[in-house]
Amino acid sequence: MTVEQLDVRKSAPGDGPDSVAGARRRYAQEVLALARRWWIELLRERLNLVFSLAQPAIWLVFFGAGVERAIDTEVIGTDDYIGFMLAGIVTFTIVGNGVSGAMPLLWDKETGYLDRLMSMPIARSSVIVSRFVFQVAQQSAQILLVVLVALALGVRIATGPLGLLVILLTAALLTMSVTAAFSALAYAVPQHGTFFAVAGFVSLPLLFMSNAFVPLDAMPVWMEVVARINPLTYAIEAMRTLVLDGWESRVAASLAVLGAAGAICLALGTWQFRKQTGERVRG
Amino acid sequence: MSPAIETAGLRKAFGEHVAIEGLDLTVERGDVFGLLGPNGAGKTTTIRMLTTLLAPDSGTARVCGFDVTAQPREVRRRIGYVMQRVAYRGLLTGRECVEIEAALYHLPRREIPLLAEAALDAVGMLPHADRRWTTYSGGMQKRLDLACGLLHSPEVLVLDEPSLGLDVQSRHNVWDFVSDRRLGGATILLATNYLDEADRLCNKIAIIDNGRVVVQGSPSELKKAVGADVVEVATREPERMRRVIETEPWVKKIVIGDLGDLHIFVEDATVALPAVMRMGLEHGIELEKVTYSQPSLDDVFLLHTGRELREVGVAS
Repeated sequence: MTVEQLDVRKSAPGDGPDSVAGARRRYAQEVLALARRWWIELLRERLNLVFSLAQPAIWLVFFGAGVERAIDTEVIGTDDYIGFMLAGIVTFTIVGNGVSGAMPLLWDKETGYLDRLMSMPIARSSVIVSRFVFQVAQQSAQILLVVLVALALGVRIATGPLGLLVILLTAALLTMSVTAAFSALAYAVPQHGTFFAVAGFVSLPLLFMSNAFVPLDAMPVWMEVVARINPLTYAIEAMRTLVLDGWESRVAASLAVLGAAGAICLALGTWQFRKQTGERVRG
Repeated sequence: MSPAIETAGLRKAFGEHVAIEGLDLTVERGDVFGLLGPNGAGKTTTIRMLTTLLAPDSGTARVCGFDVTAQPREVRRRIGYVMQRVAYRGLLTGRECVEIEAALYHLPRREIPLLAEAALDAVGMLPHADRRWTTYSGGMQKRLDLACGLLHSPEVLVLDEPSLGLDVQSRHNVWDFVSDRRLGGATILLATNYLDEADRLCNKIAIIDNGRVVVQGSPSELKKAVGADVVEVATREPERMRRVIETEPWVKKIVIGDLGDLHIFVEDATVALPAVMRMGLEHGIELEKVTYSQPSLDDVFLLHTGRELREVGVAS
């Protein structure tokens, strides 16, 4: 069979390029195709897959078992140190994923494949969005695994299975911020060396300047101020409340802040993408 | 129908460096159009503007009638772009690469497996479809890029130096692919700095140098404009041979070279060659050797730019 026998430019009726439904369907097709690419790569890298899936659970066990003894339960406000740590570990994972998740974008940029993608009739945002979709799927698996381990260690989620769903939603909202921010960084840097230098520099302070390990009340004032403007704090607050306390109004408030932060980071990411590909024509 | 590619007064500068200045090109539908020039002449910049990757500073560029800045989506839908650099595809198999790109061109989901096979088959990659990209040779990686470029039956296929860095066998594969026209009449824009490649594949050529089109036309037109064919005759009696043929209508000029060979400049060697042989025979002049050569595109380039394009010999 030769290519010209299959004229694919003629699309089916009701499928015209200008219909809204058609545009939405094409956007979904793009995002899924790109996500499939990320997915295949991950599955072929078995070691990467195993380590990245198991890492948060392993941290929880080692960190929880080791540090638990040294912790003043008065300070953290609960006897359940592992339950307290769970939200911090999940957030830790999200930041780590944000850094490693921007790597394929860096490679595409540096190997020139990004140009090939940009010469195709796809929406500019579908590259970043596909990355986001992929990350959320990957880390939902990580989170479920770490929660299973926590359950085995005796943690009980106060809000039950529904609370677990909201934890996944919280994680996804934070992922939006983190993925967009690191994608923006990936597009902004001249070379991958700068990316790793900056990413390595910001990741740990981002975690320490949050309530991942210490509650806000126990922090010095200056640190609390910094933690209050850190989106990680709100994700941890929401997840920790869902695990330890139950349905409280601060969960909704935290989710609202996370949503706003996600929108800002996404705008930032898109702006950087446009700026860095500014010589390219928009579309 | 609008021309496949039409640019007028196209300009692009990077800071102080003007890469493209006042570029006017017209590529008709069905042409295999060669963009010929040395490295740094502006070929890739031109291609990046035509493939909507780079916004022109001024001037217009239309592909299939659509403006590259105002209607980039329409342009992208209609072009296939094979980059100079092989696209890095990590751990995917050839088939997966093609299928994913087919989806990015929004081909109907159910037809994608079949279309992917057809595209892989067209470049002879079907037997290797399920191997990982990382195990492919450079030539195979290039052929996979070609398959991806023609997947959606583009109206215009843009090939940026398709045989750069390939071994002789792979280069011939690429050439066969282009000259076979398995593309169902698609227009091909081919950037190259190999003269023999342009000569062999293209029916029209534009020579660009320092960001401008220096001259354009068909390879034979361009060569004809340089001058005539040259017939070289080795004989012991060059002076007598000259007297015998110099009044013939097909002779434009005769020069006797340092080694005593006759260099006969003619309009058309295919007419001159048999005549030279027949007249030598008629007058009993023994001809030891008769050869002819055609002016090459190198001569064309030399004439219009004052420089030789050929820097490295091209194995073919």
